[in-house]
Amino acid sequence: MAGHFELKYSVIWESIPILLTGIKLTIWITIFGLIIGFLCGSLAGLAKTSRKPYVRKLAGVYIESIRGTPLMVQVLFLYFGLPLALGMRVPPLVAGIVAIGLNSGAYIAEIVRGAIQSIDRGQTEAGRSIGLTHFQTLLYVIWPQAFRRMIPPLGNQFIISLKDTSLLVVIGVGELTRQGQEIIATNFRAFEVWLTVAIMYLALTMTIAKVLQIFERKLHIAS
Amino acid sequence: MIVVKDLHKSFGDLEVLRGVDLHITPGEVVVILGPSGSGKSTLLRCINQLEEITSGTIIVDGFDVTDKNTDINYVRAETGMVFQLFNLFPHMTVLQNVTLGPSKVRKIDHKEADKLGLDLLKKVGLEDKARVYPDNLSGGQKQRVAIARSLALKPKSILFDEPTSALDPELIGEVLEVMKTLAREGMTMIVVTHEMGFAKEVADRVIFMDEGMIVEQNTPDAFFANPQNERTRNFLALV
Repeated sequence: MAGHFELKYSVIWESIPILLTGIKLTIWITIFGLIIGFLCGSLAGLAKTSRKPYVRKLAGVYIESIRGTPLMVQVLFLYFGLPLALGMRVPPLVAGIVAIGLNSGAYIAEIVRGAIQSIDRGQTEAGRSIGLTHFQTLLYVIWPQAFRRMIPPLGNQFIISLKDTSLLVVIGVGELTRQGQEIIATNFRAFEVWLTVAIMYLALTMTIAKVLQIFERKLHIAS
Repeated sequence: MIVVKDLHKSFGDLEVLRGVDLHITPGEVVVILGPSGSGKSTLLRCINQLEEITSGTIIVDGFDVTDKNTDINYVRAETGMVFQLFNLFPHMTVLQNVTLGPSKVRKIDHKEADKLGLDLLKKVGLEDKARVYPDNLSGGQKQRVAIARSLALKPKSILFDEPTSALDPELIGEVLEVMKTLAREGMTMIVVTHEMGFAKEVADRVIFMDEGMIVEQNTPDAFFANPQNERTRNFLALV
């Protein structure tokens, strides 16, 4: 029996305050996750360009094992699996941030590696020829140029990671998707609530895209 | 001050340098000529270890550059290098390009580095471009900045790897002028080039390389007027 469907605006207005608390958490998880991701990614990406084979290999194992397994499984493993082995409980929020961090790190590593390898070899040679060490050349010559090239793909990864936080619903982190789910559990208004949740994610991702666009333009002018 | 003994360098199966011996004395200006693929550039790149050598010995300033106990960064700072494609740092202003070496390698303070940088830019005629980014310069200007950048380390010698080959003809003169000035001031220079005029006018010695070996070397007058080797004669007839 197909019932008559009526969009209830009041449901949307009523759910907004609760969803906003979810948004807050989503943003914090994304920020901390990406900080971890950027650090892991930079290290692994640099390691991938190392002259030492075992360093490259080590980074390769990290990148491949993360890229080759679903984020969902990684989250479940970190929250339910690892604590058993370590003999200590991990708060869901911590497990969630670490999962987003490690996961985005693997993708960011490839972005970093690609950007660094795209810088002309002559730049390294010029740096070394004036007596800079390998590290100084990387720091002052290669990285600043590579970083500019990383911005568009990094923006892409930021957006992906933000959306990925919704998976943390499975370990009970009270982020945006989780809040939506809980509202629906009490009022059964799936259409209105999920629509609102979707619009909120869209607003967040569009904001990231816009901010990065402005940032990119600024860097462009500066050079 | 630069001594090369029995230098061999291979890239895979390709032997690019097959036993090069070279002795450069302080203040000497040596021009290396030769067809492309003769190993001229590779020789320069081996001297400051941008290429690892296969066998032989290279002594720069008393340091064996292939010895892993040698501080190669120190040797490189003492040995300037000017590249065919300039290799300026595009994310830095012209002045920052010049001051990076002195401030990070020689560790002189910011003010002093800027002063040194501006002096050197003045020397190459580009003090008004100090705050400009390299993308806004002509090829000739870029190469003059690159020369200033290597001078900023106060090197004992400078290696020039085809410094004018990527330049439009009308821009070559300005770069050669700067190089002539350096030569007159007593800088030790090894110049790989196709500029015969420069070789005749400035060089103390001209070396002809072919197939990874030094075929002939002499003073410019004798070299150009009376080349001994047939390969040298063929080469000079072609250019």
